[in-house]
Amino acid sequence: MAKLTIDGKEIEVPDGTRLFDACTEARGRPLPHFCYHPDLPVAGVCRLCQVEIEGMPKLAIACNTIVRDGMVVHTMNERVNKANQQVLELHLINHPVDCPICDQAGECGLQDQYMEFGLYDSKVEQSDKGHKAKVKVIGPQVILDQERCVLCSRCVRFCREVTKTGELGIYDRGDRAHVDVAPGVELDNLYSLNTVDLCPVGALTSRDFRFQKRVWMLKSTEGICPGCATGCNIRIDHHGGRIFRLKPRYNPEVNGRWMCDRGRMTYKVVHDEKRLDSPLKKSGGQLAPLQWSELEGELSGMLKPGGVSLVIGSSHLALEELFLLKQLGLQVAGEDQIIGGLAESDQKDGDDLLLSSDRTPNRAGLALVGLEEMKADLLADRIKEARGTILIHGGNPAADPLLAEVLANCQHVVYIGTHVNETAQLAAYALPGASWAEKAGTFVNQDGRLQQFQSAVVCPGSAREDWRVLAEMLVLAGGEESPGNLDTLRKRVSSELFNGQEFDLNTLSALGVVPSGLAEPADPVAGGEG
Amino acid sequence: MSRNDYRILSERFGRKDGHKLSVYESEGGYKALRMVLSGMPPAEVREVVKDSALRGRGGAGFPTGVKWGFVPEGAEEVYFFVNADESEPGTFKDRYLLDYDPHQTIEGTIISCFAVQAKLAFIYIRGEFGWLVDRVQKAVDEAYAAGLLGKNILGSGYDLEMIVHKGAGAYICGEETGLINSVEGRKGQPSLKPPFPAVSGFLKKPTIVNNVESVASVPWIINNGAEAYKAFGTEKSTGTKLFSVSGPVKNPGVHEIPLGMPFREFFHDWLGGMVEGEELKAVIVGGSSVPVLPAAEAMNITLDYESTAQAGTMLGSGGMIVIPQSSDMVELIQVLMHFYFDESCGQCTPCREGTSWLHKIVKRLRGGKGTIEDLDLLEHVCNGMAGLTICPLADAAVMPMLSFLEKFRPEFEALIQETAPVGMNSRWPRGEQEK
Repeated sequence: MAKLTIDGKEIEVPDGTRLFDACTEARGRPLPHFCYHPDLPVAGVCRLCQVEIEGMPKLAIACNTIVRDGMVVHTMNERVNKANQQVLELHLINHPVDCPICDQAGECGLQDQYMEFGLYDSKVEQSDKGHKAKVKVIGPQVILDQERCVLCSRCVRFCREVTKTGELGIYDRGDRAHVDVAPGVELDNLYSLNTVDLCPVGALTSRDFRFQKRVWMLKSTEGICPGCATGCNIRIDHHGGRIFRLKPRYNPEVNGRWMCDRGRMTYKVVHDEKRLDSPLKKSGGQLAPLQWSELEGELSGMLKPGGVSLVIGSSHLALEELFLLKQLGLQVAGEDQIIGGLAESDQKDGDDLLLSSDRTPNRAGLALVGLEEMKADLLADRIKEARGTILIHGGNPAADPLLAEVLANCQHVVYIGTHVNETAQLAAYALPGASWAEKAGTFVNQDGRLQQFQSAVVCPGSAREDWRVLAEMLVLAGGEESPGNLDTLRKRVSSELFNGQEFDLNTLSALGVVPSGLAEPADPVAGGEG
Repeated sequence: MSRNDYRILSERFGRKDGHKLSVYESEGGYKALRMVLSGMPPAEVREVVKDSALRGRGGAGFPTGVKWGFVPEGAEEVYFFVNADESEPGTFKDRYLLDYDPHQTIEGTIISCFAVQAKLAFIYIRGEFGWLVDRVQKAVDEAYAAGLLGKNILGSGYDLEMIVHKGAGAYICGEETGLINSVEGRKGQPSLKPPFPAVSGFLKKPTIVNNVESVASVPWIINNGAEAYKAFGTEKSTGTKLFSVSGPVKNPGVHEIPLGMPFREFFHDWLGGMVEGEELKAVIVGGSSVPVLPAAEAMNITLDYESTAQAGTMLGSGGMIVIPQSSDMVELIQVLMHFYFDESCGQCTPCREGTSWLHKIVKRLRGGKGTIEDLDLLEHVCNGMAGLTICPLADAAVMPMLSFLEKFRPEFEALIQETAPVGMNSRWPRGEQEK
């Protein structure tokens, strides 16, 4: 451990700590900076984290300094403040200051730092400003504005060190230096939008988010990416019931500070025009809307012991929902008649960064509640054998041609889902559930980590959170009384699934928890080789 | 002592065939190497050079022997670079050394490599010196053929390979980490220090980068001993130094003098004073990056590291630029600011933005559109650059800028007040912009 004094405050940090990080700890906020990033190699080029270290004649950059025992550091004295202000001014002289039309405005390092310690009058002649390329499309997701760039090289280092694809470089020298892709090269990798997050200014912007919303209007909700079994922690940025973008949320145990571009687009399904926004009933071959209140009578026949011949879940459902679905299944169908869902085939394109070949967010959750998935051929046989009502919750089994064929022959399919998809089309009743961003729940990722997500936006139309639909069905079927709220439901889930363990889903850590004995979930796929 | 007694480095300057091995050897060349390889331990070679107090001749003046001592004891893989990326305006001494007497540098390099136990040496030559690359390569080939390079040099069991590397045309590659990056195939720009190259340089192995003139001094020091070397110069600035002198003096060119010589003596006796019709206005003593001295101040200094520092400037590389009264100081600083803005690697913000801003302001002044406030602005920009960057290029631009402003402010003011005569030698007359 090294003891040092930063701005008169004594702190102790492990040997080898970067002075930058030690300063963050001592000050409660980071030093001014553009180029430093804890997950990238140090570049030391923005020259903003200058600090005075007693005994050293020159100011030093904290990012390239390793702490030494006994160091006395000043981060806010007049000399340091003056240096920072002047370096910031140099960062800004050729900047176009086009904040009114820049997506970064509101979360921009130049704006924030100017307000924090800049506040000088501009001394640059308008005619002296340099000009570089603007609105350059450099890849399917990212647009580059070289004039806004402060050449911190974070994006370049990310592509070199993290994705190891190296699409970006800094070309030319002096004030002609600019970030760019080589001719014929595109910034087209699965993680390209992380460069937009990394960009401290508005040089790299997301083509998807561009001009969609001023960032200060956005509210953020904590979520878990539903795109694959990795379960990246995310921030859902939304306004007025609409999601505008997904950003990675730091979790050192899961995704660090990154997420993949595919995951970022998972919000699109939430606002898809094919959303199921009202209960539908098939009459005369057509699905027609009806009220929830009318459904009670319609479904009462099915909601009694033995009233359902097969219950099919999905690894896209939350743990709480799977728990209730199983309870309902036990009440109306019997233990052997509950199937975890269709085992979606692995995409086999997972990488060693974040993307998992398993594109479902909660396959491990299925195993936790004791449900097994089935391969399409086996599931088809079970459907063929079933006589009577089949309750399908989540997923879209009819997307599989074999299952579509057998389901088409079933007279009475009740489907709870989010979209008017193939399965909904074949159903007698399609009940609108909540998409992943419209409900709270728990996913268990591929490492057995339980992680919770919150509801960011409200359901469309008369769609309802799935657990409420299941709870009411359970009551109608004569089972337990409705938990009434999610907390109560989670208490029930906790005591049933983690009996004997000090564990409560209501007090789950923000970084998620791997319950002991769950680190390696058993393969939940029944019926042959994975 | 007569002038010829000072010829440690410049003995063969201007001599026909002085670049050939036969001539070099006939005049005692490679004697030092033979001596070293016939039984001097590397540590002893390092000790002699350290004792000589030879200071790096590239500009910073860091003691060469001390630098060698930074190589970690027992390092397996050590690399050695001879820095011949001589690009500082006003400096052309290394070019003379390599052109007229490449074997002296090669011998010095082999001895230096032996001292730090390097097995591979590069001579990094400025790309624009095309013919020099050929000349040095030929000399290296001669040395290989004579068994002075390669495996088992002179039967000593010491192996050394030498590569002549041609730079691609960047001033910043004269900065040692920029040079190493460039040879590694990366963009020629300096790296963060620490780590220093002596600990982690080329291929992350201990690496020594020495100026041509520094290594060229080594054979003489070995032959004659540290004490003999220290007999030249002052206590802290030992030995002789090459000064490359440009400007309207009677004897411009490269001169070797013992350090500590009064500038007055050098100017009158060696340079012969100004050419007819010109008067001395100012001197840039050590290459374009050091602060300028007005004539009166220059006349009071002696040419060594300490005296120049005391006068607020630096001995630098010895690239002396003599400025006559007829020169327009604002034009001159525009030329220099153009150079630094053009050569900034663009990595650190203060240098990238600062050098370009300085250049734009000076250009505006010369375009007749400046204001008195612009002079304060120039100072302000300089303050935001000095000492805040990875390498000294920003300082190299700031030092001449600030000193020109300080020492010749009336010329700037006169220009702004539209009373200035158009510079007599102006390549770029006022109002006309360079491209």
